[in-house]
Amino acid sequence: MIKTIESGIPGFDELTLSEITEGGIPGKSSTLIYGPPKTGKSIFCNQFTYQGLLNLEPCLYVTTDHGLKQVQNNMMEFQWFIQNYIQNQSLYIIDGISQLSGKKIENTNNIKSSFVRNPSDMMVKIGIGTRFVYKKSNHFRSTLDSLNTLFAFNPQQMVIRVLNAYLRRITEAGGTCIIAYTEGIIDPNTENMLKSLFDNTIKLDGQNIQIKYHFEEEEEVTNYRSTYKITDKGIVVKKV
Amino acid sequence: MIPCIESGIPEFDELTRSNSGTGGIPENSSTLIYGPSKTGKSIFNYQFTYHGLSHDEPCLYITTDQGLKQLEGNMFDFQIPIEKYIAEKTLYVIDTTSNISEGMKTKTETIVSSHINNPTDIMVKVGSGVKYICKNNPRFRSVLDSTTTLLAYNDNMLILRVLKAYLMRVNEAGGTPIITYTENTADTMVETMLKSMVDNIIKLDGKTLTVEAMKGIGKRSSQYQITTHGIIF
Amino acid sequence: MKKTHIPKLDDFIGGGIPEGSSILFCAVPGVECEAFGYQILNGIIEDGHKGFIFTNVSEPNDIIYEFSQYGWNLEKYLEEEKAFFVDGSSNFIGVPPMGKYSINELSQIEGIVLNAIDDVSNGVGVINNLSTLIDYLEEDKIIEILDKWNKRAKANNTILVYIFTKWGYEQKLIDTIKNSVDSVVSLTSIEERVIIGQGFMVTSASWTRPQNNMVLFFVLQPGGVKIYIPKILVTGPYNAGKSSFVKSISKKSVSVERMALEKFPTTIAMDIGHVDHTGFVADIFGTPGQERFDLMLDVLSKEAVGAFIIVDSSAPQTFARAKEMINKTHAKAIPKIIVANKQDMPGALSTEQIREAMKLDKNIPIIPTTITENTGVEEALDALLTLLYGDTK
Repeated sequence: MIKTIESGIPGFDELTLSEITEGGIPGKSSTLIYGPPKTGKSIFCNQFTYQGLLNLEPCLYVTTDHGLKQVQNNMMEFQWFIQNYIQNQSLYIIDGISQLSGKKIENTNNIKSSFVRNPSDMMVKIGIGTRFVYKKSNHFRSTLDSLNTLFAFNPQQMVIRVLNAYLRRITEAGGTCIIAYTEGIIDPNTENMLKSLFDNTIKLDGQNIQIKYHFEEEEEVTNYRSTYKITDKGIVVKKV
Repeated sequence: MIPCIESGIPEFDELTRSNSGTGGIPENSSTLIYGPSKTGKSIFNYQFTYHGLSHDEPCLYITTDQGLKQLEGNMFDFQIPIEKYIAEKTLYVIDTTSNISEGMKTKTETIVSSHINNPTDIMVKVGSGVKYICKNNPRFRSVLDSTTTLLAYNDNMLILRVLKAYLMRVNEAGGTPIITYTENTADTMVETMLKSMVDNIIKLDGKTLTVEAMKGIGKRSSQYQITTHGIIF
Repeated sequence: MKKTHIPKLDDFIGGGIPEGSSILFCAVPGVECEAFGYQILNGIIEDGHKGFIFTNVSEPNDIIYEFSQYGWNLEKYLEEEKAFFVDGSSNFIGVPPMGKYSINELSQIEGIVLNAIDDVSNGVGVINNLSTLIDYLEEDKIIEILDKWNKRAKANNTILVYIFTKWGYEQKLIDTIKNSVDSVVSLTSIEERVIIGQGFMVTSASWTRPQNNMVLFFVLQPGGVKIYIPKILVTGPYNAGKSSFVKSISKKSVSVERMALEKFPTTIAMDIGHVDHTGFVADIFGTPGQERFDLMLDVLSKEAVGAFIIVDSSAPQTFARAKEMINKTHAKAIPKIIVANKQDMPGALSTEQIREAMKLDKNIPIIPTTITENTGVEEALDALLTLLYGDTK
């Protein structure tokens, strides 16, 4: 049986249930969430993060599109309150964008400010963050939302290199990571290379959800398909 | 519940009304209005700006397609008088074209000039504009019309980074920004990136207004017309 | 010769960096490297010379803030014109540039940095970050530029410090870059699933034969780069031979004023030693084996970078206790060696039998030893060092 962790998305775990898995996101793997703009990728990420926190799995959250304050507001719209988890330090946040708005983020034990333009510094913070969450539990999650701003501020090749280092760091520590990316913002060749770096991919196009899992022991890719809606409880996947 | 601010087009607010009863543009979120040219994108902005001004919400207006004089004239065509707000200094204008076509007549504390091909200077002016305007009222609006001209005059990736910084700044200060873009004027990668940077996307194609994405509601659309009173559904 | 002001580094490279030389800090992603450049610049300016920072990764204001976090006053140096920026970042993201020079397009970088080098004759220039530069320019071009900068620096007696993050580049490119500078300092990580320590080591210096010791460091705010003496834990069940192991690997007894020691109550009987093996130094702490001391294990094991687990090969009934101690000392998450002691005793299990009995992962080395006869001790030490630092020889 392949170990999975709860996605937090109603209908998702049922959809991915099969003879070889319990349903959910494969544990200790990397997953790319991609699709056109505004199809719920960030919501997916946040839902996944929040479920982890509810299950007492700490989370390393790297935010590059929205500043921490905005992430909190966005999550609040779905009644996902993360303040407590920031306080009890089960959520470790690297804010890679607030600096751009001219705001200095006060660094604390588990909130670190960095900047998308300085991948070396981001990687240092990711290293420290991984150690921090790993010490709390080796069942941890990691979310990066999203690659878009990284691509806007760095050469494409650099982002791929950083991503490689990041994925290596998380998977070696045994974490489960998901990363959001808006399809079509880089050239097709690099995009294909990007997708190939991940164990799994999930495509959200606004209506359909298309899941491709590549389990370590299996040769074939396992596919699941369904439709989804964005509700006030976040993403809800239709049962098939 | 997501608090919204009225757009200035009552039917639009009706169209975007959510279950919780509010409609309009989600407050403190960012919006992209796009579509082919001459479909009313600027007019939407005029109405959005005026509605704010007449309800004590100041506005930071960055104009890259037309000089201030022309802007005033165009707004007046839709019976939107803005002199009062210019005088009251609740309308802060960054005019990036007048230096090219004509000598800027009135330079004041709240009417400043910049250059379309100097995004760095525009950002400096945006910085002081935001500071000035949010001092009196943290609830304010901001319009950038349009990104198309900025993209045409500068390196596209630089403009995307600048736009990101602009949206972050306005949002951080508590404002609600709108940017416009004329479809198919930049390559698709840039267009997609632009859409990914905002919270809400509205498309105007001349006949139909489509809310392609908006916080809290799904896709919605309605027919519209442009009259002397602005956009009418 | 100018001091780098990085502790230990000056000793390794014969006292400092000769004027006009270039030094490359080559870091594994995730290891702090910017602080090295900034600390050298700060020190050299404090010594009365000039310096500049070329940045293409953060805006000057953020670097000034960073300096203040370290407790260094860059702002003052800027005002006194002892330091200046070559700002290759601000224009890139559309904020007003700051500093003596700013870069509008990539083609200007080469020339502007040359000017900056001229401006700080007999001083220092910090290039942060070389990796980002590589991604914007052609690889051949970057080597050509480095050569020009280094030549100009030599002519002007300016020291150049490059900050470089070793992302997944081709080895050939990394080698060429390393060859084009006078000295290379490698910054690496000590990992056991996560980064648990950072180390630096001089891998080349054209002016001297460098000592190639690995030194562990951390970066403090305030304070900058600080060296620390790593702590190595020796643990295992009662009577497995911990005390004799500590004695046999310790060259001399440790002085009590060592910083690392202050945290420990000296009234408790425990074994403390100090290892100095092929240039590697570490403090060794033996934990008590009796269960009544278990509460202490947690305290003792904090900050340890590696562990020796001593087991009595002839007493399999104590293996469960050994595993328990691995858990209690958090040794699961740090590199460790199982020292299979008392191999001379009748009935001693072989290393493979021990692996089976203790259900140990095949990656954990088990070294057969007879501590009383001093056999296997050296091998155990080598094995742990290899785990910690990779094969550095």
